[in-house]
Amino acid sequence: MLRANSFPARGPMKPLAIAVACVLVGWLLSAVLPSYFVFLGTTAIVAMISLLGLGIVTGSAGMMALCQLSFAAVGAWVVSWLNSVDAPGGLMVWLPLGGLAAAAAGVVVGLPALRLRGVNLAVVTLGFAAAADLTLGKIQFPGTQTGIQVARPDLFPGDRRYFLFAVIVLALCSLLVHFLQASRWGSGWKFVAFSERGTASAGTSVTVTKLTAFGASAFLAGIGGGLLSGQVGLVYPSSFTTIQSLALYVLAIVSGSYLIDMAVLGGILWVLVPELLKRFGISQDWGFVIFGALGIQSLTTGSNLGADLRAMWWRRTQGRRKSMEVTSPTAAVPTAVTKPTAARRPASSASVSGSPVSEAGALLSVRGLSVTFGHVTALSEVDLDLAEGSVTGLMGPNGAGKSTMVDALAGFLPQHQGTIQLAGQSLNGLSPMERARLGIRRTFQQDRVPPTLSVGAYVRFIARGQASDKRVEELLAFFNCPPPSTQLARVDVGTRRLIEVAANMAASPRLLLLDEPAAGLSHEEHVSFAEQLVQLPARFGTTLLLIEHDLDMVRSVCNDLVVLNFGEVIASGQRDDVLANPQVMTAYMGELEVS
Amino acid sequence: MNELILDDVSVSRGSGPVVSGVSLVVKPGSLLTLVGPNGAGKTSLLESISGIVSTSKGDMSLDGVPLGKLSRIKRSRLGLVHVEQGRTVFPSLTVQENLELTAKSPAGVDEALELFPELHKRRGSASGLLSGGEQQMVVLARAFAARPKYLLIDEMSLGLAPVVFLRLLPIIRHIADSGVGILMVEQFAQLALKIADEAIVVTGGRLTYGGPAEPLMADPALLHRAYLGIAEV
Amino acid sequence: MLQGALAGLAAGGLYAVIAVCLTLMARLVRVVNFSQVAIGMFAAYLAVIFAEQHLPQWAATAAGVCVGAVVSGLIGWIIAQWLPEAGIGARSAVSVASLLLLVSLSFILFGSKPKTFKSLLPGPAFSVGNVVVTQVTVVMVALALVVAVGCHVLLTKSKIGTKLRALSERPTTAELLGVPAKGLSIAVWVGTGLISAAAVSIVAPTQTNDPISLSFIIVPASAAALLGGFRRLDLAVVGGLALGMLQGALAQFEQMSVLRYWVPFLIIVVFLLWTQRKEVWDVAR
Repeated sequence: MLRANSFPARGPMKPLAIAVACVLVGWLLSAVLPSYFVFLGTTAIVAMISLLGLGIVTGSAGMMALCQLSFAAVGAWVVSWLNSVDAPGGLMVWLPLGGLAAAAAGVVVGLPALRLRGVNLAVVTLGFAAAADLTLGKIQFPGTQTGIQVARPDLFPGDRRYFLFAVIVLALCSLLVHFLQASRWGSGWKFVAFSERGTASAGTSVTVTKLTAFGASAFLAGIGGGLLSGQVGLVYPSSFTTIQSLALYVLAIVSGSYLIDMAVLGGILWVLVPELLKRFGISQDWGFVIFGALGIQSLTTGSNLGADLRAMWWRRTQGRRKSMEVTSPTAAVPTAVTKPTAARRPASSASVSGSPVSEAGALLSVRGLSVTFGHVTALSEVDLDLAEGSVTGLMGPNGAGKSTMVDALAGFLPQHQGTIQLAGQSLNGLSPMERARLGIRRTFQQDRVPPTLSVGAYVRFIARGQASDKRVEELLAFFNCPPPSTQLARVDVGTRRLIEVAANMAASPRLLLLDEPAAGLSHEEHVSFAEQLVQLPARFGTTLLLIEHDLDMVRSVCNDLVVLNFGEVIASGQRDDVLANPQVMTAYMGELEVS
Repeated sequence: MNELILDDVSVSRGSGPVVSGVSLVVKPGSLLTLVGPNGAGKTSLLESISGIVSTSKGDMSLDGVPLGKLSRIKRSRLGLVHVEQGRTVFPSLTVQENLELTAKSPAGVDEALELFPELHKRRGSASGLLSGGEQQMVVLARAFAARPKYLLIDEMSLGLAPVVFLRLLPIIRHIADSGVGILMVEQFAQLALKIADEAIVVTGGRLTYGGPAEPLMADPALLHRAYLGIAEV
Repeated sequence: MLQGALAGLAAGGLYAVIAVCLTLMARLVRVVNFSQVAIGMFAAYLAVIFAEQHLPQWAATAAGVCVGAVVSGLIGWIIAQWLPEAGIGARSAVSVASLLLLVSLSFILFGSKPKTFKSLLPGPAFSVGNVVVTQVTVVMVALALVVAVGCHVLLTKSKIGTKLRALSERPTTAELLGVPAKGLSIAVWVGTGLISAAAVSIVAPTQTNDPISLSFIIVPASAAALLGGFRRLDLAVVGGLALGMLQGALAQFEQMSVLRYWVPFLIIVVFLLWTQRKEVWDVAR
């Protein structure tokens, strides 16, 4: 069976070697299989390539795309047309051209996806598929009236040789997908599926990320369509119907085709199921009934073949490893990172640098910030100045407007009133992405760390090329995070928050907004985390705004404090002054009469 | 056995245990206030009682009926009402309609409205248009209209001015005095403890204090330590 | 032109009825039901089979419609049982799989060729000048209006409507207050299944009625529902009727037939781009 590794490469050589091995297997199969199976095999490969594309857009980026075969039809149409006008280059050149044309169509259809989420996009793509289906029925493919067959490459005549050609194309496409998935684009797709806000706060455009997913997916479909036209010679619309697109979409979900080997398995199922039904004399329409039923099963249980097989494999290898080396510590799966308690720095050393905020030296300056949601005033007329290199705590009871404040600073509430300036430059009107690129980074109260990524890929994505591999490792070590190769899915939530902070520090921000970063850590971890935070301004030149409930932590980390209640600043200034303010305790505990 | 009993209850979420081995008893007509720092597992505990999350360990029973794997609907039919965090009115429904959802009869709606006479003139308004305080009044009246045996209240004060919250507190006490067992989670500890019969402190998913409310009120340091993680005050 | 527009009104009525069903589903049970028309198609085909068993036409149709409602309820039950907390995307994806399943199943049961449907409502109703308006057109437009008004009244005036709205706004809270979420959402599925099956059964004899063409009436219908933002019933009705008339008018010009295919898609895209032109940040994500 063809198999390609879909885990991030340790080096580029391994996937290349696997690809070469797959081509060799393909060559062997093309020589020994009966000719009927060779033809079926080519059909399966066309489906595999389309499934690879769906794996990107549906599996990785989490968008519902129901028109994959319409993109394939675009590729097939362009190849047929180039053939009918006798364009130079032959199929080997036409194929990528067909893919590019399909990618262009994908970007155009994906344009509405800039603003659309989930199910609206499904409506758009279904509309596109239905219209393309009817249109193809009307205009037909070039060459079908005149009977001009699409010419196969000279090197690969005959069905057996053409199968080998298809295997090579599949291997190339798999390599492309593999490297794309490991690249920034690939991280972006997984990110956008998990959290659009997280993507934008990492300084990455949500729009571009979605479009690249759509474009790459359509490109692969176009290649598949072009390959099909070389296989059958004369192309008919019946190969690209809407219902087949739906079936392919469902199959992509069932198989988990964001994994390359599962796309291959899906393609095999695509031809195997109808073929088996035919052998047993059962109507082939049952094939789609089966896919539909499997789809419902897979969607309702939230599982897919790929994930299930992977989990089974992992359990087996884990079990074997355990029985083999009982004593050796499994370093790969750290559950709770324990800090080697470094010499406890007196907290006061940090506050020496903290001078009272002066207007001139303010890195961030906020004036009259107000935010309303309908009838509710979340923030009203808030003024805030953060001195360069300071650590300021933002406190207040639940619902006081702390997270709203961070949202407004990070650009998620463009409707706010008042001005926000970073080092004298106004941020009003700038999107979260632009603000992130200017050097304002934030972490989230809820978990926004996509479990589908590895620690290293996550940090590199957040850092946007600002940090070398060495620095990434340094930062991870500084915060006691697991090594870059660890899968985030195997890291507990508290540690994920630390990784989030480390990753955002790797981006070398000027201002880092931390929204309850220590939630989910134990008290001891709190303490060590506080010691790490204190060092950040001096070591990395980053200014911090910290939302935190734990007063111990606030005391040891912050030099200035701002206390919010009902969206208004009730106290601000130097830490000890603010904590001594009786109003603060009142707000915090609801103690109306202070004894 | 007219009691709501939790015996050694643990709740796990994706990241691990959030409630570990909590046991407590709510008697009809008594008011328990549950305090503790953010992330202590207070909300998860309430959610496990009403069936929003399932327990990983331990038993619960309501008036002798084991709650086990009962659905939320079945638990509510046993007389358990859970008032969640946030202002959980149904915004497009009028005040009247919100109350009709739970009231057994038109008279039940009127009785519930008597808790808050100020709601009378807003009967026909969409509840989404009311102020935050009024919305919480609707939520409380709606819970009362259901004639619960046991009432779980989560952070009633969220985003409310203490003055408004003070208007709600006596009503909660009044509901308890009418024979309802109440378990209330509250961040405004001092205010909430005043009306409580018993106090429970939860930190890190564990019960760290359970008993009369007076000692906590008398010694703020005790409360501060548990609540804010302050070593010395 | 006018003849064409009026001829398209019957289809427009169907779009409107389906759009109302889609809107109700999206609002009340958080599903964009891609299999909405396929359920109706399945029912209409069953009615043909029943009629071949010498059942009177009305009885055969009624039996088909009932089976359609049951099928719809079954899908609803699956979603309510296993995806009670899932987002609208995941829930709708199930309906994509059931669309695939229903269409393929009807190929097996009924064949892929169009069936000869006996029309329930033969002949013209009246004519305006030289333009003939068929009975089907009158009934469909009336049905669209009745369904929309009826659903509106049910939602705003009845006790069950109050519960449904509560459920759509805060499903968890409603359940905690004892509103039977599962039962009610299955009831919504059965109800919309019933309505769409009836509508498709009435219109099917006048349309290209192979299983696929019928099922993909979901595309113009969802375009109409989108015009109402999957929230407003009145706009869904207006959108459905207008879309039907527009397509009917375009059908008069042979050279425009390709454009006619693209009308629903273009309307969807233009409308969505207009309404969502401002970047908004999803609260949850």
